[in-house]
Amino acid sequence: MRRRLFIASSVSALAGCGPISAALNGNDGVRRALASAEALNHALIGTHGLAREYGERDVDRHFRINGFATPSDAHYADLLASKFARYRLIVDGAVERPAAFSLSRLDGLARQTQITRHDCVEGWSAIGKWSGVLLRVVLDEVRPRDDARYVVFRCMDNDGAGTLYYESLDLHQARHPQALLALRLNDAPLDADHGAPVRLRVPTQLGYKSAKWIARIEVVGSLARVGGGQGGYWEDQGYEWYAGI
Amino acid sequence: MSDAPRSWIYRYPLLVRISHWVWFVAFFVLVGSGLQIFNASPNLDASDKSDPARRVLAIGSPSDGHGTTTLFGRTFTTTGWLGWTSDGMGGRGAHAFPAWTTIPGYQDLSGGRRWHLFFAWIAALCWLVWLVVSAFRGKLRDMVLRVSDVPKLWPMQAYYLKLRAQPPPYGIYNPLQKAAYTAVLFVIAPLVVITGLALSPGIDAIAHPLTAIFGGRQFARLWHFAGMLVLLAFFALHVFQVFTQGLANQMRSMITGWYQR
Repeated sequence: MRRRLFIASSVSALAGCGPISAALNGNDGVRRALASAEALNHALIGTHGLAREYGERDVDRHFRINGFATPSDAHYADLLASKFARYRLIVDGAVERPAAFSLSRLDGLARQTQITRHDCVEGWSAIGKWSGVLLRVVLDEVRPRDDARYVVFRCMDNDGAGTLYYESLDLHQARHPQALLALRLNDAPLDADHGAPVRLRVPTQLGYKSAKWIARIEVVGSLARVGGGQGGYWEDQGYEWYAGI
Repeated sequence: MSDAPRSWIYRYPLLVRISHWVWFVAFFVLVGSGLQIFNASPNLDASDKSDPARRVLAIGSPSDGHGTTTLFGRTFTTTGWLGWTSDGMGGRGAHAFPAWTTIPGYQDLSGGRRWHLFFAWIAALCWLVWLVVSAFRGKLRDMVLRVSDVPKLWPMQAYYLKLRAQPPPYGIYNPLQKAAYTAVLFVIAPLVVITGLALSPGIDAIAHPLTAIFGGRQFARLWHFAGMLVLLAFFALHVFQVFTQGLANQMRSMITGWYQR
């Protein structure tokens, strides 16, 4: 009898959980309280560590494709058709020397190759061999001003509803010795599906930080006016800006 | 039981009662939000990166209306339970664990992560406070399994199985309780916390060995999941015992501290 009562009450408790968890999950106060863990994790783990680097034999030859669909608009098709000859990476905002980098100019800067693991927020991991130019080398070219705090990535892919992808790092993360503007994957120029011509690689954080199809890098003093103010497309959907965990 | 006069003992001090119920809530949230996170990539691989060749568990939906679970290469049809399940919005879809087992009770990875990472802190800090205070008060010695308890394990089990009339003599906790509490509080729960940390790319970057000792990131995810199953089994047994060993007395003692023997 008791046990039957227990089972009955458990089932009704479970049935009540859906609406309760939905209500709690949608409550701003609850969400703010839950989000306090992010600041704690950021403070304790930080972004100064170096991601493990792997050997050639660990590389996934067919690196998994994820995220938004490859851009299919006329502008991107035109860039792709010209093999990105007309592409310029705009780097501006709170910098002393705004610049527009052609691919060949980017290619001429000090190059880094890293074989690192990409950890998706969904849970899977893949290893790729990435080559390109360190973000800090590009930042040194444009010289962020004293009021600069964040680096915002403006991308060419959209969510299907017209919102273009955007992401951000703080200047400390942007100057990390593995924060890479990748031009090549697995010894070939980035293909359209992997973010050509330029994508970010931030191996110490989850994959959504590693923005693909970058059109412009904007250095800013605050993230308040970027998208919904949380610093990235997924951050504005509730994901953590600090994605080290 | 017997006609011997019953006596009241103050069994659980306030700290134990508070930490017990904090863990109860935290465990409930951590399992539900953990299954939510699992659902975003319902595979477990015994490897560092994802590797289908080293897949231990895969829950999926090969086609609409069908759910399958593949464990060590053997595939079972689990439609309705795993793979193709309720979506929490009145319908069904390709969700590994059904929505009624997840927190939030519908597909929401970012929400699940927020709940999980917050309650992970609650559970871990509660454990730390409980450990330090209990050790300071000398309470752990009643609880931790000792070598001298090992010969009493089987007699205690035999008593439970009604193969023996009387339990072996013991202190506050019987030898099987000590074994279970020692395993859960000092082995499995810490392992679940550490394997959870090992999943983090930021922690992997500052402490490679932590991820490496578990066989890499995906392998750590597998251990994390397996540890959760062990804790869930302990929980089920624990609740079963509470119901069979005098529900009112057990519940009263964990709320007020007083237990009637």
